[in-house]
Amino acid sequence: MDLETEVGHAESNEVTDLAASADPRAIARDLRREPVMHVGDMFAIVTRRADVEAALRKPALYSSGAGAVDLGNARPLIPLQIDPPKHVKYRRILDPLFAPREVVDLEAHVVELVRKIVDRFAERGSCDLHAEFTVPLPCTVFLDLMGLPIEDLGLFLSMKDGIIRPEGDSMEAQAPGRRAAAQQIYEYFQAVINERRGKPGDDLLSRIMNSEVDGVRLSDEEILDVCFLFIIAGLDTVTDSLDCIFAHLAQHPDQRAELVKNPSLIPSAVEELLRWESPVPAVARVATEASEIGGCPIGAGEQVMLLLASANTDDDAHPGLDIVDLSRDPNPHLAFGGGIHRCLGSHLARLELRVALREFHLLIPEYSLPPGTVLEYTPGLRSLHHLPLTFGASA
Amino acid sequence: MRIVLDSERCVGHGRCYSLAPDLFDADERGHCVVRVAEVPPAFESSARTGVTNCPERALRIEE
Repeated sequence: MDLETEVGHAESNEVTDLAASADPRAIARDLRREPVMHVGDMFAIVTRRADVEAALRKPALYSSGAGAVDLGNARPLIPLQIDPPKHVKYRRILDPLFAPREVVDLEAHVVELVRKIVDRFAERGSCDLHAEFTVPLPCTVFLDLMGLPIEDLGLFLSMKDGIIRPEGDSMEAQAPGRRAAAQQIYEYFQAVINERRGKPGDDLLSRIMNSEVDGVRLSDEEILDVCFLFIIAGLDTVTDSLDCIFAHLAQHPDQRAELVKNPSLIPSAVEELLRWESPVPAVARVATEASEIGGCPIGAGEQVMLLLASANTDDDAHPGLDIVDLSRDPNPHLAFGGGIHRCLGSHLARLELRVALREFHLLIPEYSLPPGTVLEYTPGLRSLHHLPLTFGASA
Repeated sequence: MRIVLDSERCVGHGRCYSLAPDLFDADERGHCVVRVAEVPPAFESSARTGVTNCPERALRIEE
């Protein structure tokens, strides 16, 4: 599961082109010539590291509230779309559930799951890693965490895609599909909440239902608003990260061989490839009053896209960020966003990514893209439509 | 050498305690706790690693 951070769905060709590119670094480099790129009157893209960082730290001025991005939800998502001071009350109950000491206990389970999934195709010598591995892995981890049946996997994927990738070419055309998926999410989780209330367990949902803010348990609506965010922020983003990372390694056999030879490099390689690929390339905010970024005026009510992908490769800020260095140190990247809305699931995401890289390479150390493969990245969150791999069948 | 934490800035990325667990720990929310008042000489490089990897610049070194 991943993050509180979520990419916006505003119609800006610059941001969607960057996200959908196999080389977002090149587009980001062009955009960084200006600190702020205005698209029309009400949309600004912030490109440089220092400005992105500063804006992330001003959550009252650059609000992550419901006005920043439309995800089909009826009420603000918790905690992503909650401004201070209320925000911290929710994070105080949610952060401990996703803290490192909590997620570390999941490692053995994730190891087992990765092995089981890879076993399905290891002998075959080829797979679509996206459909067969990077999609089911995070979603299965989530279902297990929430105490939900694996039979619901398909339903979850369709609800998630209904919000993140609804059919239609424009925001207007996509809106009905998005609302329908949202309705389905509310109804599904309301039924689960009702059932769980009768027989709570030690799963994540039961623990959230038992949490209190100011001595009061969360209402059903608040629990739904948390669950909605989990679906859209926690499933797709790990898929995106795995797609981006494995696609990179498939095309850079020297780096892949280095990881196979020296698995202790995996934690820093995960950080570096998250920086390099920025699977969540931007986060959306809305300016609550008139202000200035990098000397450029930002109007009240203007939508502000903070381009994490560009901040992460801004080598004016930190020289040498234009190459991949799997043992990079320091690497203070912003792939999980920053400020108070820092990805809630970042520790779980890291665990899943590290375990996936370690276990996958133990079973399948060598792989490549079939000749002639053209990788197509999705706009918004950077997943791949398909990630075909060929490899020698494992022993 | 001392490590100074700006706890207002820390939002729990957890880079410090992942990279230098001898010097940094996590509280219940996953936010940074500095474990040592004074950094032992043998851990100075480790301290720098923890500090410079913070995306929020919530940590600094005082010599």
